[in-house]
Amino acid sequence: MMDRPDSLGQPVQIRALEKSYGGTRILQSLSLDIPAGCFCTLLGASGSGKSTILKLIAGFEIPDSGEILVQGQDLSKVPVHQRQIGMVFQNYALFPHMSVHENVAFGLRMRRVPRAERESRVGEALEMVGLKEFGHRYPRDLSGGQQQRVALARALVIRPRILLMDEPLGALDRGLRQGLQQQIRDIQQRLGMTTVFVTHDQEEALQMSDMIVLMRGGQIEQLGPPREIYSQPKNRFVAAFLDDCNFIPLRKRNVGIRPQHLRVGSSAREADHVMSGRVESVIFLGTYRRIRLNVAGETMTARLSSENMEEFMIGQDALVGFMESDVMSLEEIPGDLL
Amino acid sequence: MTLLALRSGGRWFADNFRGLRVVLVPACFLAVLFVWPVLRLLALGFGDEAGPFHSYLRVFTVPAYREAILTTFGIALAVTVLSVLLAYPVAYLMATVSPRMARILGIGVLLPFWTSALVRTTAWIMLLERYGMLNSILMRAHLIRHPVAFVYNMSGVLIGMSHVLMPFVVFPLYTAFRGLDRNLVQAAMLLGAGPLTLCRKIFIPLTAPGALAGANIVFMSALGYYITPALMGGPAQTMVSQLISFNVSEQLDWGMAGALSGVMLVLTLAAFFLCRGVLEKRLKGRVVTAARPYGEGLSGRSGAGWGMVVAGCAVMIFLLAPIVIVFPMSVSASPILMFPPHGLSFRWYHELLSRPQWAAAFFNSLKVALIAVPVATVLGTLAAIGLARMKGTLAQILEGLFILPMVVPAIILAVGLYYQLTPFGLTRGYWGLGLGQAVIAMPFVFLTVQAALRGFSRDLELAAMSLGAGWLSVMGRIVLPALMPAIVSGAIFAFITSFDDVILALFLTDVRARTLSRLIYENVLQDVSPTITAVAVLVIVLTLGLLLSSLLFQREKS
Repeated sequence: MMDRPDSLGQPVQIRALEKSYGGTRILQSLSLDIPAGCFCTLLGASGSGKSTILKLIAGFEIPDSGEILVQGQDLSKVPVHQRQIGMVFQNYALFPHMSVHENVAFGLRMRRVPRAERESRVGEALEMVGLKEFGHRYPRDLSGGQQQRVALARALVIRPRILLMDEPLGALDRGLRQGLQQQIRDIQQRLGMTTVFVTHDQEEALQMSDMIVLMRGGQIEQLGPPREIYSQPKNRFVAAFLDDCNFIPLRKRNVGIRPQHLRVGSSAREADHVMSGRVESVIFLGTYRRIRLNVAGETMTARLSSENMEEFMIGQDALVGFMESDVMSLEEIPGDLL
Repeated sequence: MTLLALRSGGRWFADNFRGLRVVLVPACFLAVLFVWPVLRLLALGFGDEAGPFHSYLRVFTVPAYREAILTTFGIALAVTVLSVLLAYPVAYLMATVSPRMARILGIGVLLPFWTSALVRTTAWIMLLERYGMLNSILMRAHLIRHPVAFVYNMSGVLIGMSHVLMPFVVFPLYTAFRGLDRNLVQAAMLLGAGPLTLCRKIFIPLTAPGALAGANIVFMSALGYYITPALMGGPAQTMVSQLISFNVSEQLDWGMAGALSGVMLVLTLAAFFLCRGVLEKRLKGRVVTAARPYGEGLSGRSGAGWGMVVAGCAVMIFLLAPIVIVFPMSVSASPILMFPPHGLSFRWYHELLSRPQWAAAFFNSLKVALIAVPVATVLGTLAAIGLARMKGTLAQILEGLFILPMVVPAIILAVGLYYQLTPFGLTRGYWGLGLGQAVIAMPFVFLTVQAALRGFSRDLELAAMSLGAGWLSVMGRIVLPALMPAIVSGAIFAFITSFDDVILALFLTDVRARTLSRLIYENVLQDVSPTITAVAVLVIVLTLGLLLSSLLFQREKS
């Protein structure tokens, strides 16, 4: 299946999508273009509408209005089982009464793929996720991470036009999650598979994506490559969602400074902007120290890398500074509560 | 085993002694009043003068017996298949509607489950007989010219038995549907499964354990059926239970009765073990609990889904019709049962009260229940509590023993006890029957209390003991109060079992101590008179009142 990457990964266009449940608007006129082969992450808190988009693309729900085009084809009239879309669920959703091999072969059986081809494709798919020897086992005999890799193989073996992933790593513990993130990303890039990935974990989104779509209240708050959305957030909400952020009124505008850009103590002296504050707490976190300071009545957070050996005591006065180039200009959001 | 264990350091003894002490009384009770009479009856099957296997030989060579066995097997199989087919749409419906609606449907399924099987059978006869409601409606609608024979033949037996037994499939199947994860269905659809494939590859395989568990209960119960085929069937639907009864009461051929009981017992136990084997070996791992049950938040149904909804509603009507129908019929002024009822009158209730035999029979039922219910409740509770403190093979054997009276056909126990108790003069009056009914009611108490004990943390006992409570205080102040709701509902189950029993009442008492159920049965055997409808209404109201109070009691306690 890997020898024909050109058949995989089609572009998705979402046009003015609307969806309400019982009077509550979940999606408000949402439009989104996902280029072919792009790893696009829908990031947001629960209730932001990210999972609803996935359900609409998959066809589990029907949009109130708007359209979803894959390679220019409108999906609205295509029944779920003919959409040729792969999906990986948070709880794996492996068929408990089928072996790993039967699970992966299921989609090919549905397509009446001849036996010989089916066998070789199942074998390739299992090899791709590193589970070649596990075909005869049953889902209940596998660990969570292994089950999710089977689910990935099962979704990819049908050569889907797009791959949907609904918080696929949410049920796994931290160590496992990182290994699997890398593996998913590698496979996705190798196949050039257009992927729509849903998560509420901003770190995961930053690590894996080509494009992050940050959602809030059924609308897109901001979208762009991880680096851009991280360092040029549009407003306080985006800035705070992706990482800790200090909000400072600077010459009548509101700006944001990431904690790692805040200088404390002697290194703050050469900064473009210098204030004075009092140290409230110092926490050692291995690669960095987190220092909370009280600056003119507001709490600010700084991250000092472990190379900075300067000692700070609680209650001590210290200079706080930052460079003009690290300032992130933010738009005001009307009625923003942050 | 005991000796060996004692020698090996008494570890086993220490593990089990506590529980054994408690379990001893119920175990002995069942040994004397259940195991021993059943074994004696079976022994009679080998006691023919012409040789030990003579009776068995006759079972398989005399055409009447052979046919009865085949008929019994066939009816049980057909009823099982019908029950599963009818239960699927209902379980589907329950699993895919709102929780509130599911509760209402659940009560709808429970309603017939808990109203007297005898009364339901009677109601079906009213509905289905020659001039019954169904024929009246069909003729009035000019769909048929002459009344169709729905009852006193195979269709009567199948309708009556499926109606009584079907709820046993609905509940395990409903649980299976609830355990089905929505994402599994969605995954299958995305992988290309259309509605039919979905049904064949996902729904049926994954609900099979529930269906099979229910089917097992239905099949085993159906094998031993006596009342429904006797009332709703014709001569061609004679089942083995009826033949056992016939051999004992008419032919006085105990050898034959013993052999027939042996055959039936083997069939029943074979079905039981076969099914358990399949469940444990082939279907293991299919019982799943879903994070997101399939039915919850279902958006829209396919055409097939709507078909299932319509079928489910139809089956609900089938379930409730006979219960509902007796109410208007009982206040009809007409002396013949016809539909729609003519005029409004309470004459049948008056007649009921004016004839002393009904009131007497009702009080007889209460007196018998007054023996059966306390005995079953105390012994069933002791059995459950004791068994919870035991482990190993002995515990498994005892657990089997405590459930067995539910599995063994009642006719075998009835005939066995009749043989056992007659020499002691216990088959007249209340005691023999009361104790016999305690045997068949005990498993209900045992199972409900056992279920409650699973939710009861042993840490509570340990905490009480660490605070200085002795064994008796722990029981009286901690364990029993926590189990009270289960014990009460077990007692209500026991009462309904006792009140509804006909088979034991036919053998274990005389005309003077005749219970209400037996009187209804004897009446219906001859003819369904309007008076019966009044009795039916009163029995339904009584059992439903009890059921409702049990539900309320449980809700209050929890």
